[in-house]
Amino acid sequence: MPRFSLYQEEFHPSPFMHIWLEFKRSHFALVGLAVLLMFCGIAVLAPLMSPYDPNIQNTNAILLPPAWEGNGSISHIFGTDALGRDVFSRTLHGARTTFGSSVILVIIALLIGVALGTLAGMNKGVKSSVLNHLLDSLMAVPTLLIAIIIVAILGTGLLNSMMAIILALIPQFVHQTRSFVREEMKKDYVLLDKLDGASSARIFWKSILPSMFELLAVQSTLALSVAIIDISALGFLSLGAQVPLVELGASLSQSLEVAYSAPWLVALPGFCIFLMVLAVNIVGEGLRSALRNRLIH
Amino acid sequence: MINLLARYVNLVVLTIAALILISFSLPYLFPGDVLTNMSGIVPESEAQRAALEGVYKLNSSVFVQFWYYLNTLFSGNWGVSFSSQESLFDAVSIAFPATIELITYALLISVVVGIPLGFIGGIWHHKPFDFGVVTFSVVSYSFPVFWLALIFITIFSLQLGLLPLSGRVNLLYDVPHHSGFIIVDILVADIPHKADALYDALQHLILPTLSIAFVTTAIFVRFTRRSIMDVMEKGYIDAAKSRGFTTKQIFFKHGLRNALLPILPLMAMQISTLITNAMVVETIFSWPGIGNWLIQAIYQRDYPAIRIGMLVVSVFVVTLTFTIEFLSRAIDPARDKFERATI
Repeated sequence: MPRFSLYQEEFHPSPFMHIWLEFKRSHFALVGLAVLLMFCGIAVLAPLMSPYDPNIQNTNAILLPPAWEGNGSISHIFGTDALGRDVFSRTLHGARTTFGSSVILVIIALLIGVALGTLAGMNKGVKSSVLNHLLDSLMAVPTLLIAIIIVAILGTGLLNSMMAIILALIPQFVHQTRSFVREEMKKDYVLLDKLDGASSARIFWKSILPSMFELLAVQSTLALSVAIIDISALGFLSLGAQVPLVELGASLSQSLEVAYSAPWLVALPGFCIFLMVLAVNIVGEGLRSALRNRLIH
Repeated sequence: MINLLARYVNLVVLTIAALILISFSLPYLFPGDVLTNMSGIVPESEAQRAALEGVYKLNSSVFVQFWYYLNTLFSGNWGVSFSSQESLFDAVSIAFPATIELITYALLISVVVGIPLGFIGGIWHHKPFDFGVVTFSVVSYSFPVFWLALIFITIFSLQLGLLPLSGRVNLLYDVPHHSGFIIVDILVADIPHKADALYDALQHLILPTLSIAFVTTAIFVRFTRRSIMDVMEKGYIDAAKSRGFTTKQIFFKHGLRNALLPILPLMAMQISTLITNAMVVETIFSWPGIGNWLIQAIYQRDYPAIRIGMLVVSVFVVTLTFTIEFLSRAIDPARDKFERATI
């Protein structure tokens, strides 16, 4: 039986398609997305892309300037550092550590935060209130302070600094989720579910979670930019990633001693972090305005 | 109002109690000897160990120890630093005002620059100027603060040689310690070349303050811009227009005041970011503040110092945050419950 559509010319995009259509209208957001995808690619493929092992020391070429400078060499595109290690490979591996660990820790914080936030939002009374106040006070403690305490107890290391940042990020997710869930629980479609006899778990999975997706996407981009800056700041203070592991903030602080004779060693990792955070922020901004415009139309 | 005040006081007291409890448990969690972690003294003989254990009530129950800890905390007898053996109370009371001074100026700059920029951007939104404002805020929000500080040092200290690299004031000026705030101290001090000292201190302040203010300004710009855009779409602005007020009247009497309301709670949220940035910037500029002190403490595994420093900083941040939140709710009772703002 041939199907015919009466309204063939009409186009009804799905909600996700709608966001994408709004999102791609902004060229800046698209460029940001491209840069972000590039960093995702680097995070996965860094070992294949880098020409040298990031920790191999080539004593014949110490403090070689980048290839675009007069006495640079094309065999080391970004030059070499004070121990003769290839800066290009180190930047790729550093970006992989910084970006990859930030993405992982944001996902962990998201999962824990949403779980706790849903519990706090769906429950009422003392339980929810205690949780709120506990998290509020945790939110007020600066990230670096949490990191210092965790490093003092467990020692330095990438995993420990990730743990500290997860602890600092969770309250934001909890807060957002809690207020959103609380708002949604008052709405009629949830009431309808309740009248149909749906359990709380079912209400959450089938009704609230799908509508929460956008909020979480925006919140995650915010958290990701904070996480990248914090991870590299802890690396910079040598509380984060330790020596055999290459991390952008850490390699920046290691090259401070030769900063005057080799400024590119400070400039390149810093610029890489900056570009990463900028891309995340631009994508986040684009996503937010796409969501806002979608609601207006 | 009284009810609200009581709730916030209750909240602050409970939070501080929780923080004290955490700081009480830290010496047990840190690696090494509990007694050394608490007192900062490595006992040289059994007799000294026994004496110290007696002082810290280590043989009694946990509750007695906690009670004793509370007493020492409130009497200002905070023990000595593990590495330098100087009193922690004195060290904190010298270091902490330096940090407060730094973040006060940074916050001041961000308010003075960020709020007007955000307003102009929000009023003329989607115009070229607004485009510039948004670009500025996104770019400066993305700067890692330590890299920014290093760039400032490279440009202004090393290349141009305009501003000093580190420290608070040139050692030539012997400024006596009164309040801990260097500007105030110079103003009240009775020293020769007062104007020169003041000029020198201001020069030392510029780079650290700017590095911290850069990121905070971006956040203020974004919030203010959003806030004014929301307010200008409200019904009462239309009502004012229909009554024939001029644009200027509408903006200053109706728009500005209402748009400023959500900015106060925003300030509360930024304090912990501000402190984190200040701590990083302090280490780079060797600013003798609490952040630098704490980070040196962690390098030297100075556990008594970490414990006290953590308590002081977090109590400060919590008290300030809740005070500002209380003020913002007292000023704007229409907002039933303050929700954490999204950028």
